[in-house]
Amino acid sequence: MSTNLHEQIQQRLAVLEEVRTMLIERLRVARDSDEIDPDTPLFGSGLGLDSIDAVELLVCLTADFGTKLPDDATGRAEMRSVNSLVDIILAARETANGRA
Amino acid sequence: MGVPEEVAAIRQSAALSRMDHVRCVCVRGERAYEALDGVVTSDLRVRDGQMIHSLLLEDDGRIVADIHLGRDGEEFLIFSEGPDSVELQDYLHRHLGAAGAEFEDWSQARALLMINGPYAWELLALLLGGDVVGLPYLTLFHFDDGICFRAGKTGEYGYGILIPRENLESLWMRLLEMGRALDVTVAGLDALDQCALENWYFNIRREGREPVTPVEVQLQWRVSNRKSYVGSECVARRRQEGPRQRITCLVTEGPIAVGDAIEIDGSPVGWVVNAGHSSTLDRWVSLGLLDIRWAHSGLDVFRVRAAGGEVGARTMSPPLVNNRSLHVSPQIHSYATRHEFTFPPLRRP
Repeated sequence: MSTNLHEQIQQRLAVLEEVRTMLIERLRVARDSDEIDPDTPLFGSGLGLDSIDAVELLVCLTADFGTKLPDDATGRAEMRSVNSLVDIILAARETANGRA
Repeated sequence: MGVPEEVAAIRQSAALSRMDHVRCVCVRGERAYEALDGVVTSDLRVRDGQMIHSLLLEDDGRIVADIHLGRDGEEFLIFSEGPDSVELQDYLHRHLGAAGAEFEDWSQARALLMINGPYAWELLALLLGGDVVGLPYLTLFHFDDGICFRAGKTGEYGYGILIPRENLESLWMRLLEMGRALDVTVAGLDALDQCALENWYFNIRREGREPVTPVEVQLQWRVSNRKSYVGSECVARRRQEGPRQRITCLVTEGPIAVGDAIEIDGSPVGWVVNAGHSSTLDRWVSLGLLDIRWAHSGLDVFRVRAAGGEVGARTMSPPLVNNRSLHVSPQIHSYATRHEFTFPPLRRP
């Protein structure tokens, strides 16, 4: 495995774990971390989050991860699964690192 | 009309489908709740009129059926995909019958239709009245001689209609007639399967053929961590040991097929378990059962050994479609006024 690829995977796994922790601690998802699969849907029948949780999720993304969703329409599409949250956090960090 | 046109109707208007591949079973009796709770994988917290999306497993943890289970008073309705009628009855006889529940296969006497699409609610409202547009996801209600429920595996608004089979043809024609103004189209199983693939709905007829447990196919959200059910010991063990493989979504530059090997730098890391051309995205979409070390989204390092030669592939986070239903509100929109609004593109960046 190349160093870059190894780093990319480790970075993704670290953010995935942060998101799982946020879901368990802040949004009271009653699951162990290893039960939350990366592509689990957040809303509806997946983790069962509702519209109030969506607001809390937006607050957490901003406060804990420094990530702000661009607008309502895009936001709905970006908040579909655990992995889609990981994607936007990684993209935001990449952008921030690029600016630094 | 071909699959792309049928998929386009599901994604942009509404489509009507016969669901003859779905078995419907009614479970009843004093021990029905306890018996079902020991069989279905999810916690059976379901009140009258509610539904859950769950699974049936074999003792070794393999997935037997992809089910929606609804509570209708003291009875429970199972809508099952996967096993045929004989296989399902055999499974239920072994696991439910032994636990003291009675069950009856309704699949011969009743027929199931589905309406899917961002404007599916509009067609349903023409049939059953305006109140149905407020029907919450995973709930059911009775009408005349039928049962209507809200569920689906396309990522769009979806409604099931269960009716006596002798009423099927007349209702079918009536819905097509009512749906003319909505450009309602008939969509077959291939179109439904493509939508499921684009949206990452588990397909028991594709990836479900692999000898996998819910852990490998990322369906732990449908699995209880508080109770015993058929296969629970194996699922718990698999979770404890950690899965060796995991289903992951890939997009490729060219055609690929189920069974094609997936490699990194010439070394095998998995194989394709579901694949198809997405007419919505105009690209090839697949699911790979990948070595857990590589089963991560966002990696652009894979090659698929396809019949037509090697094809580059990268993993992505599903759903791949920006479903129009996320942006269509029955309180604001209608099919007739769709051109007055700007919706985001169906294809996610």
